[in-house]
Amino acid sequence: MVPKFPYRTPDFTWDERTPIITVRDLNKVFTLASGDVQVLKHVNLEMEKGEFVGIVGRSGCGKSTLVNMITGIDHPSSGEVTVAGQPLQALNEGKLSEWRGRTLGIVFQFFQLLPTLTLIENVMLPMDFCRMFPPAEREERARQLLARVGLEKEANKFPGAVSSGQQQSAAVARALANDVPILVADEPTGNLDSRSAEEIIQLFQELVAQGKTILMVTHDLDLAQRTDRIIHMSDGVIVPRLIAEGAQP
Amino acid sequence: MRPRTRKVLSDFFGNPTRTVMVIASITVGLVAIGMILVLRQAMVTDMMQGYAAVNPANIQIQGVFFDQDFINHLARMPEIRQAEGVAIKTLRVKTGSSQLKPIKLLASRDYAKREIGQVKLVEGDWPPLDREIVLEVNRADETPYKIGDTVLIKLTSGEIRGLKLVGIVQDQTLGSDRGGAGFFLAPIQGYITLETLPWLKIPDLFTTLQFTTAGGSDRAAIEAAASSILEECRKNGYTTISKAVRLSTEHPNLLYVNAMTAILVLLGFLVLFLSAFLIINTLSALLNQQIEQIGVLKSFGGTRQQIIFLYLSLVLLFSVIGFVIAAPLAHLVAYWEQNLLAPQLNYSSSGFRWFLPAVLGQALIALIVPQAAALIPILHGSNLTVQQALSGSENAEVKNPAGRQTHLAWLHLSRPIAISLRNVFRKRLRLILTLVTLTLGGGMFVATFNMRASIADYIARLGNYFMADVNLSFNRAYSIHEVEQIARAVPEVESIEGWAAAVGQIITADGHPGEAILMEGPPENSVLLEPILIRGRWLDPQDENAIVLNEVFMELYPQVQVGDTVTIKIAGSEVRWAVVGFFQFAGKNTGLVAFTHYSPLAKATHSFNHSTDFRIVARKKNLTLGEQTALAEKLEQVFTERGYQVAEASAGQSVLTNSAKGLNALTGFLLFLSVLMAVVGTIGLSGTMSLNVMERTREIGVMRAIGASDFEIERMIIVEGLVVGLISWITGVVAAMPVSNALAAAIGGAIFGRPIPVSFTFTGVGIWLGLMVIFTIVASLLPARTASRLTIRQILAYE
Repeated sequence: MVPKFPYRTPDFTWDERTPIITVRDLNKVFTLASGDVQVLKHVNLEMEKGEFVGIVGRSGCGKSTLVNMITGIDHPSSGEVTVAGQPLQALNEGKLSEWRGRTLGIVFQFFQLLPTLTLIENVMLPMDFCRMFPPAEREERARQLLARVGLEKEANKFPGAVSSGQQQSAAVARALANDVPILVADEPTGNLDSRSAEEIIQLFQELVAQGKTILMVTHDLDLAQRTDRIIHMSDGVIVPRLIAEGAQP
Repeated sequence: MRPRTRKVLSDFFGNPTRTVMVIASITVGLVAIGMILVLRQAMVTDMMQGYAAVNPANIQIQGVFFDQDFINHLARMPEIRQAEGVAIKTLRVKTGSSQLKPIKLLASRDYAKREIGQVKLVEGDWPPLDREIVLEVNRADETPYKIGDTVLIKLTSGEIRGLKLVGIVQDQTLGSDRGGAGFFLAPIQGYITLETLPWLKIPDLFTTLQFTTAGGSDRAAIEAAASSILEECRKNGYTTISKAVRLSTEHPNLLYVNAMTAILVLLGFLVLFLSAFLIINTLSALLNQQIEQIGVLKSFGGTRQQIIFLYLSLVLLFSVIGFVIAAPLAHLVAYWEQNLLAPQLNYSSSGFRWFLPAVLGQALIALIVPQAAALIPILHGSNLTVQQALSGSENAEVKNPAGRQTHLAWLHLSRPIAISLRNVFRKRLRLILTLVTLTLGGGMFVATFNMRASIADYIARLGNYFMADVNLSFNRAYSIHEVEQIARAVPEVESIEGWAAAVGQIITADGHPGEAILMEGPPENSVLLEPILIRGRWLDPQDENAIVLNEVFMELYPQVQVGDTVTIKIAGSEVRWAVVGFFQFAGKNTGLVAFTHYSPLAKATHSFNHSTDFRIVARKKNLTLGEQTALAEKLEQVFTERGYQVAEASAGQSVLTNSAKGLNALTGFLLFLSVLMAVVGTIGLSGTMSLNVMERTREIGVMRAIGASDFEIERMIIVEGLVVGLISWITGVVAAMPVSNALAAAIGGAIFGRPIPVSFTFTGVGIWLGLMVIFTIVASLLPARTASRLTIRQILAYE
């Protein structure tokens, strides 16, 4: 039966025998006034569905740039990125936005909740943008997601009225709004106290247990230890663990 | 280069869009103010000085056949500088196969020696020789003739005589022999030699005396000289009919320029506020973006004074560039408008020249307003602690959200629309400033349309005095009964009224002849009048020698009240009239006009049961101008065939059409100002929207990161702009009411001597709504497009 309204539901179909994220020979060069700087150098990476991967490295090692390439936020100078069967270089900026909304959930270090919307409205917003789920169901879904991160009582508050930890939990709920298979978190605990950071990591682990794939950038090696796999980066390349550990101060 | 200079320049060049918006905001305000200052000065100066340059008559006295010896005698009077005689006769000129229009012929003895009322040659030759004619340019297009053609003149006997058209001239004194603004009511004007008159069967004798006086800028001295001349005429047995006095700088259309000046003064005041709000708004937004940088500067030792100086230098740079663009642009716009106005109002523009007070005024505003506007956020920023500035806590968008979740909830809006609506009210001070700017612009825009409607309604109300379909006048008085019999035989005619008419002369309290007055005497039972009374009452059938005066009396003779008696000299005899009321007419446009009953006026003109003027009503109602003209032509033919000497047969609506011409120039001018206001408002909104978007670039990036498409982003920004536009539209419509009243008082006062009733029209409201929708979309589209084009990495790295 043809649906009455063209609302989408999660429909990710790709050959699950292939990795959910594939990065091939990725290079990124920034052109600055002082000259060209190569931030990523021939990076290769694969992630399977349901993996919880941490990327660690010093500031400026290229980990955030790598995440930006995987999320389609930035474009590589050369190389290929394929996420859930979709080669990102085939999409323009507008298409990327829509694809991203339905495929990836992004959690930022500074939460990036919209200050003029309540927490529940922030969570509903990706559903509105991507026309996911019928409108009548969106509020209930958002409420459930907030309940899952322990914010059911704060649903109608504005971001400015809740703590940093609660804001980041709401940001995770927002990232899950469209029932995306992949979560990408860039320093998600960088701006949180240890208790809030622990809650977020626990939440990530629960999500992975439920089948989500999570890629987390962090400079905190202890947190990274809680993931399934750690990718060490240094000077724009992925380095073996031992070398990386040797390089740690 | 010093680092602080480099910092100012990098702020200037670092964000070209922002820089352009700030400079545009400053420039548009300065242009509006400069344009008003230049136009106001240029119009008045060019009209007055240009008029004085043609050496116009200060006194014009119409009478019966003055001779050259008497003119020479008057020229020797101490208060008289120059005295000349002109023979003036109104005949009719053929303008089509069966169409005739009145033509006023001016004949002078020797144009080469003539000093008063110099004309400017536009085309062909000047002066005319015998049996040649030169036409005045302002009315020449009402005839089909070109240079070299033979102009066909219908004589009072009915004969047609031809005069060769040899030239076209501009005569700035056109209409100066009537009270007020005679220009738009003046007929086609032609210049011939005195020797040509006998060929047109007109006596070659002067009917009008023209004088310039030693005190051409002193009305009292001119009036005194006119009284002395009239006294000389009386002593020497010359009959005078009317007199008109004017200052050497009093162009017949000066009252229109005065009206425009009054509008400009009022709008100039509002535009000053509008521009100030625009500049304050833009700079406040700009400086708010710099708060964090101010924190950084303070963190490494920048003092409060240094920070203030740094940012004021930046603002000064914006102001200087705005001023450099605005000063010439304001002059160009003003002279462009003046070049459009000058031909309509029969004066010559002296062309582009720098008007120093306007430049200084702009410079002063450029120096003070932007600095003052910027000082508030600069002082605020410089007062913040380093921690406050760096944390951006001062810029936190939603500080106290308690209770806000219920806002707009009842509307059940989608989140993107909710974001748009909430963003509208996010920066309340900026919203208020934007709304004030747009409200002033909108209020003035709508008010100018209200003024156009008010003037049109006012003209339409004048139709209450011109209800006949055809006005028929003869060269001499005919029996009303006989004319009625002939007219009624025409199947299209339903009724006819014979009106008495005369040009009288007010006799002042000290016995001196005063202004000329047009007197109309409709029959006691006339159905062709629906007067608009200001004071007192209209004529009763039983009234004897009662008179109702138009509003110009109230200004010229304020001592005359209802119940008083006025003396008017008609056909050589002084008649006393009891004033029973005052009515509203076309103000200074038509000079002094009075209504009385037919009988007393016919008695005064010795034409009882006879009349020269007839008003005819057609059987068919609501005739068009074309139908009225056709009926007029038919009636003329009928009466001419029966040997009647028809002076003029004109359509009833043609009088109104001519009266409206002068006001058309005024309404065109109002439209120009409306467009100017719309431009100022649009740039204001565009600047605000750009700055709003710039401030929210990071949020836009976040929305893109969670799946918002280009369309969604653009729609949210456009909806936000539309909401601001629609709010300002409502407030603008409300503001238009007091602005309309102020404009009605200014225009009415300048032209009609009293405020005109304000007519509110939906035209301006509708157009402003349309413009607001278009402008807000256009104003929002550019920043929306810019925002949607940014990559998320650029956005999240922003600032």
